[in-house]
Order: sequence, then C-alpha cells, then structure tokens
Amino acid sequence: MQRVAAIALNTFREAVRDRVLYNLIVFALLLIGTAILFGEISIGIQTLILINLGLAAITFFGLAIAIFIGIGLVYKELDKRTLYALLSKPVRRYEFILGKFGGLALTLLINTAFMTAGFFLALYYVKRSFDAGDPPILVAIYFIFLQLLLATALALLFSCFSSPVLSAAFTLGLFLVGSFAADLKDLADALEAPWLEGVMRAIYYAVPNFSNFNVITAVAHGHSVPATLFWSNTAYAAVYITLVLLASMLIFQNRNLK
Amino acid sequence: MIPVRRWLPFAILVALLGGAAVVHIQRNLDAEMTVFHVEAQELYLTSGDWVKRLSLGYHGLLACLYWTRAVQHFGRQRLAHGEYRLLYPLLDITTTLDPELILAYRFGAVFLTEEPPSGPGRPELAIKLLEKGLQQNPAYWRFWYDIGFVYYRGFKDYQKASEAFYQGSEYPGAAPWMRIMAAKVAAEGGTRQTARALWQELYNSTDDPTIRASAELHLLGLRIDDEIEFLQAKVDHYIHVTRKVPSRWEDLFAAGLLPGRPLDPMGRPYRLKYDGTVLLDPQSRIFTSKLGWRE
Repeated sequence: MQRVAAIALNTFREAVRDRVLYNLIVFALLLIGTAILFGEISIGIQTLILINLGLAAITFFGLAIAIFIGIGLVYKELDKRTLYALLSKPVRRYEFILGKFGGLALTLLINTAFMTAGFFLALYYVKRSFDAGDPPILVAIYFIFLQLLLATALALLFSCFSSPVLSAAFTLGLFLVGSFAADLKDLADALEAPWLEGVMRAIYYAVPNFSNFNVITAVAHGHSVPATLFWSNTAYAAVYITLVLLASMLIFQNRNLK
Repeated sequence: MIPVRRWLPFAILVALLGGAAVVHIQRNLDAEMTVFHVEAQELYLTSGDWVKRLSLGYHGLLACLYWTRAVQHFGRQRLAHGEYRLLYPLLDITTTLDPELILAYRFGAVFLTEEPPSGPGRPELAIKLLEKGLQQNPAYWRFWYDIGFVYYRGFKDYQKASEAFYQGSEYPGAAPWMRIMAAKVAAEGGTRQTARALWQELYNSTDDPTIRASAELHLLGLRIDDEIEFLQAKVDHYIHVTRKVPSRWEDLFAAGLLPGRPLDPMGRPYRLKYDGTVLLDPQSRIFTSKLGWRE
C-alpha cells in the first residue's frame, strides 16, 4: 500500500510540475466572463447559464486532464525508460497501475475541488446569497468526479497497450458513445430483428454509461438528486472502474517490456 | 543568452507594428466582406429533439444558448423592423432542450404577441408555445395568466381570455387576483383599466429588467392615452363653447381650461394639430398604447 501511495504522490507531483493546474485560471476567467456577458445579452438566465456552463466546464477541463495525462501514464514511463528503474525495485506491476491511477485521481480531486470553490464564488457573485437549491449542485459535481475517474481508468487501460494518440482517440470515443448510451437503448427498443436488438442491448450494457452521471440540467433548476441515484451511480462507477483497472493490470502484467 | 534589455524594446516595437498592421488589414477586410456577409438567418438543425440528442446530455447549457439566440434575434429584428422568421423555431428548440425553462415560454409568448414592427404579431404561435409549457409543467398556473394575456392582447378575444384566467384560478395555489381578472375581463373587455391591470401584473411577476422595462413602457403608454383623452375632452369643450378650433395651448389656458402647457411623462409638450386633435410629440421617446409606435 505504501508503494502504491508513493507512486500516486509522484504522479500527482509530476502533473503539478506539468502545470496542469493552470487550467484553473482559464476556468475562473471563463466563469466570470460568462456571468457578465450573459447578464448583458440575455434575459433571466444568468444563474442558469452559470450553473450549466460551470458544471460543463468542470467536466470538460477534468476530462481533458484525465485523457491527456491518463494516456501518457504508462507510455511516458516506457518511453523515458524510467519504468525499468522503477520495476527493478520491489514494486509489483499491479501496484504501478494502481499508483498511477491514484495519482491522477488525486490530481483530478484537487483540480475539481478548486474549480468547485471558484464556481461557488462565481455563483455567490451572481446571486449574492446561497439557497436551498444549491446543495444538489455538489452532488452533480460528485457525479462529474465519478465520470472523470471512469475516464482516467479507461485512458490508463488503453495506455497499457496502445500509443498515446490511439489511446486518446479510444477514450474520447468511448466517452462520446457512453454519453449517447440512452440513445443506444432507444435504438435497441426500436429494432425489429431480435438478434440485432440483442447486439445493441449488449453494446448498451458494455459501454461505460456516462449519461448516468449527468444531472446538470436538473440541479440547475434546483431539483434534488434522489439518494438511490447517488448510491447507484457510486456503485456503478466503483464496479466499472474496478473491472477496467483489473483489465489494465492483467494487460500490463502480461506485457513484454523488453 | 541575449540580455532582456537588448531584445525587449525591439520585441515591443515589432508587436506594436505587427498589431497595428493586423488591425488595419482586418478593417479593410471587414469593409470588403460586407457584401458577402448575410445575417445568420438559418437554423441548420430545426428539430429540438435532434439538437437534444447531439448535446451529449448538456441540453440545459444548449437551451440557455438557444434562448440567448432567440432574445438576440428578437432584438435585432425589432431594431431592423425585420421578419422574426426564426423566433418561434428558436423558442421551440429552446423549450425542447429544457422543458423547465419557464421564462422561455412566458417571455417568448410576449415577444411573439408583440404587433409588427415591434414583434411578429403571431399570437397563435404564442398560444402554441404556452400550451407546450403547460404540457411540460402542468402545475404552473401562471401559464394560464399568459394564455389569457395573449387572448386579450393578441386576439382581443375577451371571452377566451376570461376563460383562461378562470381556468388558472382553479389551480391550487393560484393567486386570488386570477379570479378577479377573469371577472374583470369578462365584464369590461378591452378597457384601458383592464389592460393596466394586466401589464401591472406582468410587471410585478418578474425581476427581469428588460421585461419590467417593457411592461413599464406599456403602462406609460396607457397613462398617455388617459392624458390625451383628458386633453382632447378639454379641446372639444373649448370648440363646443367658443365655436372655434384652438390653434395653441395658450387659447385653452386663456379660457381657464388648462393651468399650463401640457407635458407628456418624458417632459415634452403634447401637440395640438390645426384641426384640434391632440397628439404625442413625434420627438417623444415613448408611445401611446392605442396609437402605436411614435404615432
């Protein structure tokens, strides 16, 4: 466990050294700019657009970090040959994978926490107060964080056997397909051939269902998120991430590093 | 390594000259491109359902953008006395993307009902939009107020307007004045007093400065109608008594009918035409509710 933590901490330090957290400045400027701009050019949606855009920005900035750092986690170590030095020490391959995932998860956690703080500051600036409709926004952000962890796990999986460019394409592709998951189910329901319906349904269950985690529009209108959805999404993310990490460990374990 | 003080002035000079050149060229290009520039009067995706599918789940954000586009389109066409061709499709897409965006239904209906050239004058589309709002948000009684308002203002159908107010008043939690409004519209129809009550309620029901300003302007228009009616009565009385048409306001205060030169709410004097008709000064920045924009 100590070894995993050490790798995770190093991965986090490396991300910070890569100036990943600079995106926070862009995020803050985007939110302030949007709040002011939409107050001028639209009617009555200043808060709504701030919540919608703020949460979408947290997702996309986080996703960019998850994908673009995630795809290099294994590849970079191989390319720089630092992996050999690491594995020559008493570190198991699965520990390396877990450590890398943990490090990027920590980076995303810190990044998301700062963006959340910035977001709530901007929200306070627009509304001049907080109300009972605001706490569900934290649940929406938690769901976003789960999405980011899922994307990190996928990026890490592809990073174990593919080049960075292909890994990015695969992860982004799965994110897109996963965001359209609800449509895949609708399509399966609409198909008449039973075998085709079965195939479509299998794809629906196989792809990571990112649309589960998107409750942004609902919380923007002040709706609360049911506790059952909270636990179901947590369980879904935990199981899916575990499966993806196990697959990553298996692939990396059997990978010929010579 | 070259010291900073040696290259910095040169870099600033290059940046300034380069920046000035880019701005100059772009200005020329702007002038040249005007002929190729047509306002984006097209909607490439006309189906709200498709836009929703393509939004990757961020349909709330897209709804805000489409709503802003609808507001911008309305404002731009209003200034240009244009066609408002995209207004309803934009509102329809907005409300499909976010069926709970109440203000898009409510203010969209106000925009659609505005008579040309201030709006498209399409009350039937306003009703369609509000009915969609009711379908999506069945507990929201204020839509019935808006439907009644559109029947009242757009169609001048006071019976239907009264029915809508009454239907809304039946909702649990509906404001008590809805029933009063239903009775008032049924009894008095298109009186100025009823119009004032309706605009006043619209004014009270929103915090948005644009809509409040619009309602305020209409209320001011009704006040001007009252004032013109009052002044016209004085002029008619003067004609009746003296058998002469007054050529100036001074004739009326000489006869003791007015204490001074009558001014509109913006401080400009009302006009007295040669035939004794009282009008708002065309230079005034307001309008009467009855006579239309700057009549």
